[in-house]
Amino acid sequence: MRPISGPLVLALESSCDETGVALVEGGRRIHANVVASQVALHAPTGGIVPEVAARAHLRWIVPVLDEAWQAAGVGWGDVAAIAVTRGPGLAGSLLVGINFAKALAYVHEKPLVGVNHLEGHLYAAWLLDPGEPGKPEPVFPLVALIVSGGHTFLVEMRDHLGYRLLGETVDDAAGEAFDKVGRLLGLGYPGGPAIMAAAAGATRRDVVFPRAWLGDSYDFSFSGLKTAARRIIAAARADEGLSADDPDARLSEATTAELAYGFQESVVDVLATKTIRAAVATGARSIILGGGVAANRVLRERLAAEAEARRLPLVVPRPGLCTDNGAMIGAAGARRFEAGERAGYELDARPSLPLATGA
Amino acid sequence: MSRSATSGGGRLAGPGRATAPGPASAPAPTPTALPGVSARGWILALDTASSTALVALGDTAGRLIDERTWRAGYRHGEELLRRIDELLASHSLPVSALGAIVAGTGPGAFTGLRVGLATAKGLAWGLGRPLVGVPTGEALLAATAEAGARPPLALLLPAGSSDRVLVRDGSVLLLTGGVEPDLPAGTTLVAVDLDGRAPEAASSLGRAALAGLGAVLVRLGAARLAAGEPDDLARVVPEYVTLPRGVREQGGEVAWSRDHR
Ligand SMILES: [Zn+2]
Repeated sequence: MRPISGPLVLALESSCDETGVALVEGGRRIHANVVASQVALHAPTGGIVPEVAARAHLRWIVPVLDEAWQAAGVGWGDVAAIAVTRGPGLAGSLLVGINFAKALAYVHEKPLVGVNHLEGHLYAAWLLDPGEPGKPEPVFPLVALIVSGGHTFLVEMRDHLGYRLLGETVDDAAGEAFDKVGRLLGLGYPGGPAIMAAAAGATRRDVVFPRAWLGDSYDFSFSGLKTAARRIIAAARADEGLSADDPDARLSEATTAELAYGFQESVVDVLATKTIRAAVATGARSIILGGGVAANRVLRERLAAEAEARRLPLVVPRPGLCTDNGAMIGAAGARRFEAGERAGYELDARPSLPLATGA
Repeated sequence: MSRSATSGGGRLAGPGRATAPGPASAPAPTPTALPGVSARGWILALDTASSTALVALGDTAGRLIDERTWRAGYRHGEELLRRIDELLASHSLPVSALGAIVAGTGPGAFTGLRVGLATAKGLAWGLGRPLVGVPTGEALLAATAEAGARPPLALLLPAGSSDRVLVRDGSVLLLTGGVEPDLPAGTTLVAVDLDGRAPEAASSLGRAALAGLGAVLVRLGAARLAAGEPDDLARVVPEYVTLPRGVREQGGEVAWSRDHR
């Protein structure tokens, strides 16, 4: 492996419903990145149940760590620091990773670094897979759009670890809206990939869903869109002679596709338009797109096209690094470690930790 | 993030150990290794299932050497590791002297149990030593018996603000609302963390049980180790009495991937 000079960080992520452990060198090079996903566990309830998530972290953290440790083939002498997500996220889930990490750091006398989960999503843009050729780092100043089931925000970075929040969702996260509308369309959970797949088959594209622009603000709102979707879907069901609340009576495939397309266009249009406007307004030299919804090909392509037209490089981590994982915590943790930050015994979960004030 | 004021050297262990309060020069006793016992060194037992958190130091013969208890409230996570460090430091023991970890698995408050078991797993994994999970309920019953209470015994614990849990004969039962336990005549009731929600005689026995919990955890844990029965580190989880709210049954298995591509 090509060396990257920099500390090797063991990183743990357990803020929501993915248990992630990674070993990352110099904040960039992944040596191992293992994720146990609870998607299947939550599918029956159509969303994350915090107590289920917390129980699964405690059950899976050791196998995930075992797998990552073996995959990286490192020893404790190689590890410079341990990084762990301290918030924001679900309290019961965060506690598992934090207390496990503290015990590891204590036993091996390693420095411990608390990482903000949101900055982890940003720093995923710096990661390199094992064996991947080096590539340029994102150029400052930059704007980053992070969209997932839990987060939707737009932030400016003029340098490492410096964040200015430009806008965030005032109600639901974009991924949450995908989940809810996916359920309304009978497409299952999680809604993002299902809606994208359905929309790709749309032959009619006449139904237009509303956009919540919120004036000149960089904030987002998806609750109005959700309400509109409920109304539009109910009207379409009535048109096809389906009862309002019979989940077994499904809309025709063509109509489902058309509505999925219209909904997705509304979300993508608002996300891409605001991001580009923010990049231009702040004089950004690059754009980062991250979070689970970045796996949406339509959003990626729309943002890529608009960024290209303005000669702005767009950095989108591969899908597995956009969803929650340990490597992104290792990438951000390395920066905080090198900046001299250390956590002590008292490190505790911060479920509502904001990004703007740092980790 | 504010820089930690308690770990200037950047290491959790170093400065904490150097400044740990307590008797600095207690002589380190010699660990007793039983013939045929796989675990060597000292046993660290911890329990965070009740409002009284506990860390205890024992030997592999099952003898309690020392313990620390404190009212944990909702702050287990900020206190537990520091208490462990202080206990070890007061005996001049490095953490590497631990041969095994014993952890109470409840039933009890989920937050405390999660902190305790995540810490216990991290210690055991980091040290490469076995972990033994001991049901806190059964350990409390054993401690009550040792305190002289007349069997048969039944233990009541709180489950949230309105429900209670009954532990007896190796079974754990949820009592919702004000439902009273259906117990054979002559059963001695023990209540922990239920002051005002259980007879005072039962609460008094509960306090005696808590006072003996550390010794019982060490002894039961040592016996399991001596029998060559440590737990699968991955599978030790709290004794869950109820399914999470909104979940009828847990369908599906956790998807597993080395890394999503
Ligand atoms: Zn996330």
